[in-house]
Amino acid sequence: MDKSDIILSINGINKSFPGVKALSDASMEVRKGTVHGVVGENGAGKSTLMKILSGIHTKDSGTIVFDGETIEHTTPIQSIRRGLSIIYQEFNLVNTLTVGENIFLGRFKEMKGLRNSHKEARKLLDSIGSTIDTHSLVSDLSAAEKQMVEITKALSFDSKLIIMDEPSSSLTADELKRLFVIIDDLRKKGVTMIYISHKLDEIFQLCDIVTVMRDGFIVDTKLINDLTRNDMIAMMIGREIENEWPERPRCAGETLMEVQNIRTRKLKDISFELKKGEILGFVGLVGAGRTEIVRAIYGADRAKDLKIMINDKLLKIRKPADGKRSGIGLLPEDRKLEGLVLSFSVKDNITMSSLNNIAKFGFVNTSLENDIADRQIKALSIKTPTPHTKTKTLSGGNQQKCIMGRWLELNPDILILDEPTRGIDVGTKYEIYLLMKEIVENGGSIIIISSELPEVLAMSNRVLTICEGRITGEFNPEETSAHDIMDAAIGGGD
Amino acid sequence: MDVATLSFGRKTLKILGKQKAIVAVALILIAMLFSSSNIFTRNHLFAFLVVAAPDLVIAFGVTFAVICRACDLSVGSVMCLSGIIAIQLINSGVPVFIAVLIAILSGTVIGFINGFLIVQQKTEAFIITLGMGMLLKGVALFMSNARPVSTQDPAFNSISNSTIIGLPSIVVYMLIIGVLAYCLLRFTSFGRNCYALGGDYEVAEHSGINVVRTKWAAFVITGTCAAIAGVLLSSRINTGSAIYGDLTPLLVNCSVVIGGTSFAGGVGGIAQSGLGIAVMHMLRYCMRMFRIDGVLPGINQHVQTLVFGIVIVAIIAMDCYAIKRKKEDV
Repeated sequence: MDKSDIILSINGINKSFPGVKALSDASMEVRKGTVHGVVGENGAGKSTLMKILSGIHTKDSGTIVFDGETIEHTTPIQSIRRGLSIIYQEFNLVNTLTVGENIFLGRFKEMKGLRNSHKEARKLLDSIGSTIDTHSLVSDLSAAEKQMVEITKALSFDSKLIIMDEPSSSLTADELKRLFVIIDDLRKKGVTMIYISHKLDEIFQLCDIVTVMRDGFIVDTKLINDLTRNDMIAMMIGREIENEWPERPRCAGETLMEVQNIRTRKLKDISFELKKGEILGFVGLVGAGRTEIVRAIYGADRAKDLKIMINDKLLKIRKPADGKRSGIGLLPEDRKLEGLVLSFSVKDNITMSSLNNIAKFGFVNTSLENDIADRQIKALSIKTPTPHTKTKTLSGGNQQKCIMGRWLELNPDILILDEPTRGIDVGTKYEIYLLMKEIVENGGSIIIISSELPEVLAMSNRVLTICEGRITGEFNPEETSAHDIMDAAIGGGD
Repeated sequence: MDVATLSFGRKTLKILGKQKAIVAVALILIAMLFSSSNIFTRNHLFAFLVVAAPDLVIAFGVTFAVICRACDLSVGSVMCLSGIIAIQLINSGVPVFIAVLIAILSGTVIGFINGFLIVQQKTEAFIITLGMGMLLKGVALFMSNARPVSTQDPAFNSISNSTIIGLPSIVVYMLIIGVLAYCLLRFTSFGRNCYALGGDYEVAEHSGINVVRTKWAAFVITGTCAAIAGVLLSSRINTGSAIYGDLTPLLVNCSVVIGGTSFAGGVGGIAQSGLGIAVMHMLRYCMRMFRIDGVLPGINQHVQTLVFGIVIVAIIAMDCYAIKRKKEDV
């Protein structure tokens, strides 16, 4: 292999955080003009590696050579100027500024004023075939458009290497296709990209070369054509898994909950019922109103004329505390924003909802509390050094398990799971599926929302499709093809 | 070696950053060793605690608000108003017990209104309590006709100026309230919920905690504590005046943060707040001991204020530096 062909080569990188070895002797090479996939379970060290490249973290040892230049110490702004940009999962844009201002933020002087900045931004946006107005506010953009702006921003620095961290997690299927076209385009122009994703389909569709990471080690770097999906999964988790999903549970019984007339600005006359022991799936595009439905049921959003009956008893649910009391639990869509107090310990996060139940005259029984935490950590096999470890140091999957544990302790009749496996590694996903099965086998009911269609179809007993705030269909996933269900979710059904 | 010393320096700074109130108290005490007057006696301790007691009681209350990621700047006015209410009621013939009760309840009601505005109407605590403070100040000026008021009733006077089991009574009340507040915050589900919603309001709400009621209650407690402090103070000096408590809200809120209860919410506690107040009051007490306020007659107050300002800025800056370091650590 020609040496000049390598744009980035890292050698023997080590990085430790207090108590954790995040990267051990990581080495890899990225070839110019390729899309280089990086896959691995959560906590495998992908993000740490990228953060070292961008200069957010400093490496303990090892060498980085970027574009023929050895990089000893770097800061985020230096790396960007060198031509190495990172687009994070959570975008790095100022919401209150316009698109043009964001792209050239801090460089108005170099650009000779704001007008020129907008002009230049327009050119760049045109070059990737985007029609976003450079004068519109970033806060008005959709997730996909924000991503375009981020890519444009990276291009405005003449980036030779663009790293994308989970770019697809907030995109709809259509938007994703457009992103792929843009990535393909950039590849033809000679821009190198590192593409980090959990979704193996995307990796296979897009990447030329893949690096698989596990537990801080780089397992291997291979051409995509030399790999099968199963190989990749096996490399990621270090063992073969036979099935991605457990056998579908069949425990549906009597009607447990009836929901009538959810009406909000976004939702129109949503009515449905949920049976005891059933797993009910909601399928729809991002923004179709799936999350809004469950938020209304749980009391997180107000809805007009909402009637919820559990066991034929009419409930008044105005706030989440009412939902909890009525035996409904919600695993929120965004675990960092709505699910966990990240600065709290695992124990505190798990027991958060049960404190009132274990308090006598308002005083919390500490030993009972520790019991709860220990029980759930064991039951869900949450990987944490101690119950007092802060949740922000855990991986995404283990964080999700903490929230699961919080609700399982309350043993709710109805558990609503909103994107339970987003950003979670394959191994933990399977554990969560098993858990769902266990819950319904013990008489609970589950509503699951997921952007991953196969997951909903494989686990649900019944699927409702939602499009633009309406229920557009009800299907039995065992009898209907995925294609027909998706059709109804897109709105082509009727 | 260079790196080692650097990291050692950082580590020390980090530890100091966490324990800054204790460090400050220790430094002041060490400084006092070189003072001509001997501060390490029972009388000095009591004198110190008697003066600090009202601020401590307020700080215990404010801690609840700050832990819920809010603050209360109306406490100074609540304090002076409750003192005036108590004295004026007594002067118009109301029994002392009832008068004191009504004065304390006035704080409860104000806390309730603050809570309503902040939790239910979603106003910003900082600005709404600032406004509330001004409003109450106006009420206090109006009620007292802008003059100090006092009472002849010895029963009222003795609330703060008697001794209980050998301790000044005002200190005993302060300790009782402190212990109650400590237990409430530390051991009850209410207290734990305060931490949770201060740590992350959305998360607390989604995990089924009654966030509205909890945060509201925190403000009721804050208001009540401030009113109790008002009664204790006006009883101790047998005067109620609308000019008291102008700097109190700033001093107390700052002291709470200095103690280690962060404005970012979710961390801290009663003991820390007590330490924070101790720092400020020790500083004042020691300046008096060192006669800093007597060096140049006529500018005493200015020097004290200047020193307070320096200490607050320095400690808060260290606090933020520690947070910054912590963020970069992970």
